[in-house]
Amino acid sequence: MFGVVDEVLRLARQRGARGAEVYAEQATSRRIKVYRQRVEELTAARRKGVGLRVFQSGAVGYAYASDLSAKSLEDLVDRALGNASVTDPDPHATLPEPQGPPPQVDVYDPLLERATDEQRIDLALRAEKAALDHDPRVKTVEDTIYADGDVEIFLANSAGVRGSYRENDCYAFAYVLAEQDGQVETGLSFTVGRNLDELDPEACGSEAAQRACDLLGARKVPSLKATVILDPFVSASFLGVLSSALTADAVQKGRSLFAGREGRQVAGGIVGLADDGIHPDGLSSAPFDGEGTPCRRTSLIEGGILQGFLYDTYTANKAGVGSTGNGVRGSYASLPGVRSTNLIVDGPATPIGDVIAGIEHGVLVTNAVGVRSGANPISGEFSVGINGLLIESGRLAGGVREVTLASDIISMLRNIVALGDDARWIPNGSVLTPSLVIEGISIGGA
Amino acid sequence: MGIDDIDRDLLEATIRRALARGGDFAEVFVEDRTSLGLKLEDSRVEDASGGHEIGAAVRLTSAERTYYAYTDEVDEPNLAVAAGIVAGALRGAAGAGPTIVRLGNVRSVTGKHPIFVPPETVTVRLKSELLRAGNEAARSVSDDVGQAIVGYSEARQRILIANSLGEFVHDDRTRLRLVASVIARRDGVMQTGFETLGKSMGFELLDEATAAEVGRRAAEKAVTMLAAKPSPVGPMPVVMGNGFGGTLFHEACGHGLEADSIAKGASIYAGRIGEVVASPIVNAFDDGSITNEWGSGTFDDEGVPTQLTVVIEGGRLRQFLYDRLRARQAGVAPTGNGRRQSFRHVPIPRMTTTCIGPGDSDPEEIIAATSRGFYAKSLAGGQVEPASGNFVFGVAEGYLIENGKVTTPLRGATLVGNGIDVLNNIDMIAGDFLVKSGMCGKDGQSVPVGTGQATLRIKEMTVGGTGS
Repeated sequence: MFGVVDEVLRLARQRGARGAEVYAEQATSRRIKVYRQRVEELTAARRKGVGLRVFQSGAVGYAYASDLSAKSLEDLVDRALGNASVTDPDPHATLPEPQGPPPQVDVYDPLLERATDEQRIDLALRAEKAALDHDPRVKTVEDTIYADGDVEIFLANSAGVRGSYRENDCYAFAYVLAEQDGQVETGLSFTVGRNLDELDPEACGSEAAQRACDLLGARKVPSLKATVILDPFVSASFLGVLSSALTADAVQKGRSLFAGREGRQVAGGIVGLADDGIHPDGLSSAPFDGEGTPCRRTSLIEGGILQGFLYDTYTANKAGVGSTGNGVRGSYASLPGVRSTNLIVDGPATPIGDVIAGIEHGVLVTNAVGVRSGANPISGEFSVGINGLLIESGRLAGGVREVTLASDIISMLRNIVALGDDARWIPNGSVLTPSLVIEGISIGGA
Repeated sequence: MGIDDIDRDLLEATIRRALARGGDFAEVFVEDRTSLGLKLEDSRVEDASGGHEIGAAVRLTSAERTYYAYTDEVDEPNLAVAAGIVAGALRGAAGAGPTIVRLGNVRSVTGKHPIFVPPETVTVRLKSELLRAGNEAARSVSDDVGQAIVGYSEARQRILIANSLGEFVHDDRTRLRLVASVIARRDGVMQTGFETLGKSMGFELLDEATAAEVGRRAAEKAVTMLAAKPSPVGPMPVVMGNGFGGTLFHEACGHGLEADSIAKGASIYAGRIGEVVASPIVNAFDDGSITNEWGSGTFDDEGVPTQLTVVIEGGRLRQFLYDRLRARQAGVAPTGNGRRQSFRHVPIPRMTTTCIGPGDSDPEEIIAATSRGFYAKSLAGGQVEPASGNFVFGVAEGYLIENGKVTTPLRGATLVGNGIDVLNNIDMIAGDFLVKSGMCGKDGQSVPVGTGQATLRIKEMTVGGTGS
């Protein structure tokens, strides 16, 4: 693909681009769905494409194409230049400069390439079977999915940035429905790795089933103020919302609730939060970001105190600092934007059993519906529907349903009083987090 | 190879190759998509991005199994590879399928969703001026407007669908959308407002005045909400606004009517055709054929003509929304709801423009008849679990109703409930029917949808929030 990349750079220069950056990818993927112990769907895919960003004295234009023929590439260059002619120039919009060699990050496992469709199907079938066999109240496994992807990235710009890497990963996922006395509850789980041997389909299936069954018999509760435990699944979805407020883009454009709070206490004193783009187990790890800047670990919160924000080249120029390697791209079809890579919560861990034993009235939240729509990343206010288990006198005391949990992000972070010893990777957003224990949260009941 | 170079022989050969080892249905889907997105923030047009993608997918089904392969190199060798992959995946299936495939004449219906000014004939410069008009209008609403993001997007999607039934369809879709998201700030409080205008239309949809209107409305919402008080919580009557309020039906009920949920028994509506699932004043439908609507098309993404499908009539459940596969399993005709985000996605049953039909009350009368309640003028979005019907919505713009009057704006509220409970509790529907555009995500696929609704009242519903 460097042949295509260099050809686009050459064409861009020839047609008058002052600065040009080309990002190309080629990928293969598999996705298998099974249902009732048979294959329901198998998708095999090949994808490739190229994106060109041109810089004309601070005005930026972007174009992308999946067709790599000579005519299509010429058209690509013309469209990128045309788009640059309508954007407003900003002196901070500059071509990323070479930043030295990227770190060694092992994000490719050649074993995965040798997996056969039989092995993939078998893995999905095992996950579904484990869920079905886990508990007689399991009604069905609505979705059991195995998927993997293998992608090669090629990036070069006219300032001399040049690099490529190959990344692969695989996962299985189960979404279980359990039923008792006409009440239906749902549970899900994942297993993630870079080769099939790293996946544990049985654990995935039975955990999804257990999470659904735990909620059966759930009842409505009156409104109360209580200590809540957000399990790692729920914590990860909140951290996903939070992460956009920790980007320099949100701060500089006046839509971050963390703006102006650097060096101040924004979370409980035990809370640490980092973005780690080179974590060996992180699904979003890579040697360099979507602009060619080396990835790294960036501390965001330490001891509850806000340390800083995430930057790409543009926001770093504007703030007079260096990029943190967070110019992330979704694919060749998208411009780089400031986003987190792998988010990691750390701090002193308390055994989760001890936490529960110490709570007089509380809720262990295992599912939050509407975090994306119910949480406002700008004001920080949120109100979401939750499912979970009531905690009474230090014991789990059955499920609760149709309740809402309402607060704002900063109050919630500040009221984190403990972290569980159950930290795990949640692939959705690539977050490594334990359960978060939070005091004084309003729970709206019936 | 471009989409215009694909000939009938190649499509027929690909379908034959896909069916080489059996199967009961094979299809080739070819797509050519050009798109342009512009974004303004901080009063600067900062992003301008355009794409051109072409690709093809080969699908083979055998009983309840689906095999799908796609490629972005649309030529004979790559289509043969894709067909070989799906045929090869079918090992062990009994019996060979039809080996002779003859496509009929291509069906290409033009003029159902007329495009008068193709967006590609308009300069990018002119489009960028719309963003500035939206931004200036938003900022002129109040000094409290701190940030405005205005986005323009256009896409033209040309598709060819050929299948082993001999059907051969061509469709050409153009969609335009303008969105504005405004942040207002006063005394440390930040609030957001959102407005959108999207249609399956050409550039005749938009001019600077309409763009200004979108920006102004988003700004007014944000500024209004600055004065908002925390919402009371608990069960109370809820009046849903027209337009965006239709998100309620889309999330709380519509997803449970999609036939894939039904087939797996993962919907509260499964097995309930003919039963009462809503109050007798509720009539609901999905209509992918509304002229020029954002969620409309001449055909769905399986080549089935779009149609009006009544799902609830007089409170009784009438019909589900089907794609080809689920329709065949259920022994019914497909309803034109087989949709996919692109050639990279397997078609599944999806809503198009989903509506609760208008009633005979008037909006003012509904408010006046409510002594104390919550007025959800626009919703931010929501999520639902189709299996239980439980849902939650964020309220973007909400007000208290006191003594039959709309009073204090309320913030941070959510609506929580169950689809069937809510439908049964609808006791008044007005005539101010309005459709709004949105994007709906399901199984990792995002498709354009519309929500249509008049102002209506739900007797009782749980409101969640930070107040008491």
